[in-house]
Amino acid sequence: MSDARAGIFARVRDALAHLPEKHALPEYASDVVLSRGAGDVRTPAAAVTRLRERMEAVRGRVFTDGRSLGAWLVERGAMRGYCDPALLDVVTGALGGFADRIALETALDRARIDDYQFGITRAAGAIAETGSLILDDTTTSRRLAALAPWIHVAVLAPAQTYPHIPAALAALNRDPYIIFCTGPSKTADVEGILIEGVHGPGEQAALILG
Amino acid sequence: MSGGERVDGFAAAQSESRREAVRLGSKAGHEKRTEVLWRDYEDPDGLRRLAGAIKQHTLDHLDVYMAQAEERLRAHGVIVHFAADAAQARAIVLDILQRRAALRVVKAKSMATEEIELGPFLEGKGIECLETDLGEFIVQIDADHPSHIVKPIIHKNRREIARSFEAHDLGAYDDTPEVITRRARVFLRRKYLEADVGITGANFISAESGRLVLVTNEGNSRFCLAATRCHVALVGIEKIVPRDRDLGVFLNLLARSATGQSLSVYTELISGPRAATQPDGPDEMHVIFLDNGRSDVLAGDCREILRCIRCGACLNVCPVYRQASGHAYRGVYSGPMGAVLTPLLAREEGQGHGGSGGDEGRGSGGAGGAGAGGPGGAGGAGGAGAFLAFADLPRASSLCGACNEVCPVDIPIPDMLLRLRDRGKRAGAAGTVVPPSTMAGFARLASRPWVWRRALATGRLLGLVPAPLRPRALRVWGTNHTLPPWRGGAFRKWMAARKLAGAPPGLSAPATRTKEKP
Amino acid sequence: MSGAGRHIQLMATCLADAFFDDVARATVQVLEHLGCEVEFPIDQTCCGQPAFNSGDWPAARDIGRHCLRVFAGDDAVVVPSGSCARMVSHGALLLFEGEKDLSGVAALAGRTWELGDFIVRGLGVARWPGRLAARLAFHRSCHSRGTEYGQSALALLRSIAGAEVVELGEPEQCCGFGGTFSVGFPHISRAMGDLKIAHVLETAPDVLVSADSSCLMHMAGLAEKQGRALRTLHLAQVLRDALQGQGADAAGATGPGGGEVRA
Repeated sequence: MSDARAGIFARVRDALAHLPEKHALPEYASDVVLSRGAGDVRTPAAAVTRLRERMEAVRGRVFTDGRSLGAWLVERGAMRGYCDPALLDVVTGALGGFADRIALETALDRARIDDYQFGITRAAGAIAETGSLILDDTTTSRRLAALAPWIHVAVLAPAQTYPHIPAALAALNRDPYIIFCTGPSKTADVEGILIEGVHGPGEQAALILG
Repeated sequence: MSGGERVDGFAAAQSESRREAVRLGSKAGHEKRTEVLWRDYEDPDGLRRLAGAIKQHTLDHLDVYMAQAEERLRAHGVIVHFAADAAQARAIVLDILQRRAALRVVKAKSMATEEIELGPFLEGKGIECLETDLGEFIVQIDADHPSHIVKPIIHKNRREIARSFEAHDLGAYDDTPEVITRRARVFLRRKYLEADVGITGANFISAESGRLVLVTNEGNSRFCLAATRCHVALVGIEKIVPRDRDLGVFLNLLARSATGQSLSVYTELISGPRAATQPDGPDEMHVIFLDNGRSDVLAGDCREILRCIRCGACLNVCPVYRQASGHAYRGVYSGPMGAVLTPLLAREEGQGHGGSGGDEGRGSGGAGGAGAGGPGGAGGAGGAGAFLAFADLPRASSLCGACNEVCPVDIPIPDMLLRLRDRGKRAGAAGTVVPPSTMAGFARLASRPWVWRRALATGRLLGLVPAPLRPRALRVWGTNHTLPPWRGGAFRKWMAARKLAGAPPGLSAPATRTKEKP
Repeated sequence: MSGAGRHIQLMATCLADAFFDDVARATVQVLEHLGCEVEFPIDQTCCGQPAFNSGDWPAARDIGRHCLRVFAGDDAVVVPSGSCARMVSHGALLLFEGEKDLSGVAALAGRTWELGDFIVRGLGVARWPGRLAARLAFHRSCHSRGTEYGQSALALLRSIAGAEVVELGEPEQCCGFGGTFSVGFPHISRAMGDLKIAHVLETAPDVLVSADSSCLMHMAGLAEKQGRALRTLHLAQVLRDALQGQGADAAGATGPGGGEVRA
């Protein structure tokens, strides 16, 4: 195997050795990659506003209070689901009256994965430019809880919202598994027709608290 | 319509409904791309050129970046392997699986795993290897092949899929797209949870951080990485980019170019096995760097093709792809980028799906070709035979240049198609309608002005066309076109007459000639 | 006159030599109207593109070298074809990579102009005089990619009094000629041409105009074989006809499809 490694490196070096010129890494300012309007987001409040617009544009849902979330879950018939134990008190409080009607389990049983109609976990951040939620291993209690149920709700503090992609990339930490989630899972494989809810959630929501 | 080359024959034999499905699907993809790039950027072409320059820089220094990526991956607990060719890559994967006594694998879409034909290999070893991308899943149960690198079943309609699902016990016939998708969701969910290992590719690897980037929409790679305990990623050595911040350029271009989305639904940034506090996910992560002919390409005069980020924009815009569909290209990669990459990566192999049923090697991948190709890469380690089997692909183009115009990394595809035609000719490739010796004859005619003028003036209808070419090409032309009247010598006679007459005869209505207002 | 006294060499193209003499004639008439002195080096043959595209690069280089000899000097070389102009100004640089005559090839490349581009950017003509009352569908040939040829041609056409210029749907889609491609891949070439003709007819034009006879020959030939009416004119012919003040139905209107007007 180390022969394969040595062989590949040798072939690559040989290939590059006789290049007449090697291209330098181009210098560029990050704002070259900002999509139209992304650079206008300069305050946390603006970021949350833009996040909401963009999340809704990719058919995500944004709730800024627990009661609205509760009403929506009830309307969807999603009365039983998983909640990150660390969020239990906050979420129960936020749901208010709806907390009586919605069953929150704090353990996720793989064998009953389809019993959970929703999963509530923490977001590690969000990106206003694209309407994306950022999830990672450290802040997501269970990867499966954010993925398998039809509805995923990520609980987010407003201050966690990055204005745009370059800001989010600059802030990447050592977490081994970071995902930008931009709307519900989807496919257009069948005749180009857009269908939401493939292997991942069919509904992607954010609950912005704080 | 007979008489044309293989890709043309394939196109002609295709059903009208399939052609229209591919054409309209591609057209929609192209229009979406255009709309979104211009909606979101002042200068999308500038961004494409920047992305191309970053990629070219990386390729020009690939030894440095590959070493850096490797070091970062190992530092984060990833087990790093190197595979010189498809056989080695398959062996490494098998070894990993066998050490874990793994019998069930779930695979998220990866062109590289298609290239090495991993699925059939593992099935042959008694290991279930299930595609999880909806389109790839449908292709797998049908024992079919994808026909587009981003939209694998662009050629299928819902009725075909519904019949297939029924035939594979996935439910009674129902061709509603929602039902088809739900059934796949339910079926594959069980499979993810029962699987031992998840196999993926990678869209990019940041050398700076050693992060793999996976770009998907369905949630299939997320599920592979949430439900199984071991992650194996097969990655072509050309997927490396220098830094995390450079990902901003590529991520903004990739989804817009592929499907007109600003970002795909899931962008996973993976630098190691699961965090200690995370109950779900792999304990063990492997990255296999795959060469399989890429270092030969790097040494040759078509190296810019290695910039490709597999977006499919060139397929969507290509008028030839739209008529022929992906299967015509007889390999994993189709359309303009496939017409370049398939002959370059070709290795000697056994059976493949040969488009119209031929049995020369399937494009890219294979067990042969140990040993390095020389610089200049004429044929490379795989041998001239494998290259020749695909030398017709670069000819399947009118060189319109639309592909380069949409490429997010500004690959000069038409130039490479031309270089490959030169390479093919030197290796003995034969065009079917324009025989190899034709142009030598034409060159003799076109460098002897007195012969040229004679041919024009004597009015020989076919005088301009070299003899060996005359019957075939003109016959083919005449099947679909009328030929314009022969006017050889007429212009020259007119010019000569004017010179004799002195001042040029003016155009009619002298009043319009002079003192024209601009 | 913007071109007053300017001496240029005309590369007529092998297609004009064989089939489209009126395009070459119109080119001369147009350039002389602008005051240019037009030389037609009689030893010219072809730019070498058919051989280059076929992959027979040694043959293409032989032809390219003949071209270098024929068009020696410092004058601008003007070509009524985007395809041939691109071959000389771009393709040849690839063809002669690493060859010792590359610098000569590059010099010729630097002084070779497509006709419309020469008029607009070489001679600075912003508006075309004369009149042509016609609805013109403009086909931007693929060889204008990466150049100003299309812009220049459109600017000229739009400036003609009486002319109504329309662009085609899906303009980025090739018409399907591609030289030897049209005989190597006849089914696909025809399908591409049919799609293009459909877009042309959707605009209900009086004439289809292009700066490339090759594309027009392909589309006119396809249409005629199918018994469909498709009138075509090269850019040079439109400019010449405008100077003569002709309308779209004038008897003298000629096109690459042949010497006669087709009803």
